[in-house]
Amino acid sequence: MPRHDGGMRIFDEHPRARWAAPVAAAAVVGAATFTSSHLASADPSLPHRSAAQLLVDVQKAGLTPLSGTIVQTANLGLPELPGIGAAGGDSGHGTTSLTSMLSGTHTWRVWYASPQQARLALVGGTGETDVIRNGKDLWVWSSSDKSAAHHVLSQADQKMADQHAPGPSSTLPRTPQEAAQQALAAMGPTTDVTTSGTASVAGRSAYELVLKPRDNRTLVASVRIAIDAARHVPLRVQVFSTKIANPAFEVGFTHVDFGKPAARQFAFNPPPGTKVTTSDTGPGAAAPKVDAQSKGPEQVAPKAVGTGWTTVVVAHLPSAAEPGTSSPGGADQQLGQLQAVLKALPKVSGAWGSGRLLTGTLFSAVLTDDGRVAVGAVAPSQLYAALAAR
Amino acid sequence: MSAADVLPSRSATASRQGEGRRLVSTRLLASELRLIGGRRRNQAGLVVLAAVPIMMAIAVKVSTPGPGDGPDFLSSITSNGLFVPFAALSVEIAMFLPLAMSMLAGDSVAGEANIGTLRYLLTVPVDRARLLAVKYASLCLGALWGVAAVVIPGAVAGIALFGTGDMTTLSGSQLGFGAAVWRLVLASLYLSAGLAAFAAIGLFISTLTEQPIGAAIAIMVVNILAWILDAVPQLGWLHPWLFMHDWLAFPDLLRDPIQWSNLLHGLGIDLAYAVVFWLAAWARFAGKDITS
Repeated sequence: MPRHDGGMRIFDEHPRARWAAPVAAAAVVGAATFTSSHLASADPSLPHRSAAQLLVDVQKAGLTPLSGTIVQTANLGLPELPGIGAAGGDSGHGTTSLTSMLSGTHTWRVWYASPQQARLALVGGTGETDVIRNGKDLWVWSSSDKSAAHHVLSQADQKMADQHAPGPSSTLPRTPQEAAQQALAAMGPTTDVTTSGTASVAGRSAYELVLKPRDNRTLVASVRIAIDAARHVPLRVQVFSTKIANPAFEVGFTHVDFGKPAARQFAFNPPPGTKVTTSDTGPGAAAPKVDAQSKGPEQVAPKAVGTGWTTVVVAHLPSAAEPGTSSPGGADQQLGQLQAVLKALPKVSGAWGSGRLLTGTLFSAVLTDDGRVAVGAVAPSQLYAALAAR
Repeated sequence: MSAADVLPSRSATASRQGEGRRLVSTRLLASELRLIGGRRRNQAGLVVLAAVPIMMAIAVKVSTPGPGDGPDFLSSITSNGLFVPFAALSVEIAMFLPLAMSMLAGDSVAGEANIGTLRYLLTVPVDRARLLAVKYASLCLGALWGVAAVVIPGAVAGIALFGTGDMTTLSGSQLGFGAAVWRLVLASLYLSAGLAAFAAIGLFISTLTEQPIGAAIAIMVVNILAWILDAVPQLGWLHPWLFMHDWLAFPDLLRDPIQWSNLLHGLGIDLAYAVVFWLAAWARFAGKDITS
């Protein structure tokens, strides 16, 4: 037997006691992880602030210089939609990143110095997509195909872009700031606004604003917005569904630093070997939308049925996307893929007609066989009612 | 190499420093490293590890791949030779490097038990815990050795064939040669730490059996199982706890500025695995009856 010093004698008498060491080490690791995550979510004690005060705080604070990491998670309960991302053609980054945001977890890095200097990077795997605004230059860099799109903003574009956060605007909020503004705009007599104490986000103390729809027919259970206690910047937005316990949509900082980012974060020179496409007009978010509208001049404008949280939008699809019609052209293959996805959706029918039903955790959608689409944050039965009311 | 060649010199070095109470004795470690480095199969393994980046560099030189072809970084190689070791690491980290660690770890205890040298090793007045610490330290150096066998030939071949232009980061900025080499060194150290954590699992498995081949296969099975689990999206809650999950974060070192969060999490996981499985190996080995 090997030589032992005194402390080891207990293990000679009870050899199995040695196994306590690895078990204890594993327990320490587990306990340390649990406490750190538990402490992080423990409510810090802050003086009480009413919902109205918080809203004022947020509006006063506006956009402050910051840098950080944002993690965004979507559990929208949607089926995989292959090809839909490419349907926008070369109109660029907006479509691909929008589609990729509909499911799974995504990490963004943000740097924001002023409306004229901002950078947003979607990171993942060995790829990165950067949107960099520096003065009148707007760069979109994609590492996967080594391409850079350069837009020189005109005066009017600059003014318009200054109103909004950088990057393409979309229906899904991309930064906590943008998300909070959208949620606040949607509020009204339809919503209970309360504060539910405090939270800790990205290691910072925050107040939590809770929006609860008064109408219990909607799929949205509540929207929780965490607002930094010191800086009054929204740090996290969570949208809860009535269907699942975890947030159906969550976007929040995992790390945030309120120091002004260095100017070099916003300097972009396309590296050698990069495909650079230049355009003088800004990538105004309105442009592709106008394009889509002009495709079907005969179509009727979308119609809203109901109010508040249970609003159902009924619209006519552009004729090319109508099931059954095939259009010649490059987009045909993508349309074919889309139609294959549609065919996999369950068939539904009723007094309003028949079609395919898409049910997610936060919204439902019906595509009718006669080319209408109804979307709302409600159960399918209300979509049917809205379609029948037409 | 037969047991008789090894034994006299090792027991002599071990007994000479018997009064030193350091946990890892340098002489025992040196003899262990000589043993590992002298094995023909390990030398052959290093050649295989080194061959991959050289083959990749030559293949890219002969036919330039377009963006999106082949493994990550491959299409960037033509602009900077230092992308060769990065591309080779991303290819070898899943299979070849863990396989090399499995061989070393399988040999470390089970191998000695199998050829009957373990009981002689234990007759020298060295505490079993210290012997195990030496074994593990040699595996950690082996991990560094394996990664270096990929990175150094890769860098040399890449620079010889493609030169040392500025390196384009994933964020689209440019790094000078010195900064690029520094990022490569960090990536090598990061992956070596990951492999060292994996080696702790290997060391534990190696104490369970006297069959080095069986131990090596079992260690490799653990690795493959982890990669399979990591590919199942329904087990998302488990993924941050798998020892190899954050290995794939090493490209974060090529962003500007470096994104540290996943790398730091990976190092924490490495440390946790190393401590828990080294203690498990000790619990098994210290109380084990050595019969062969």
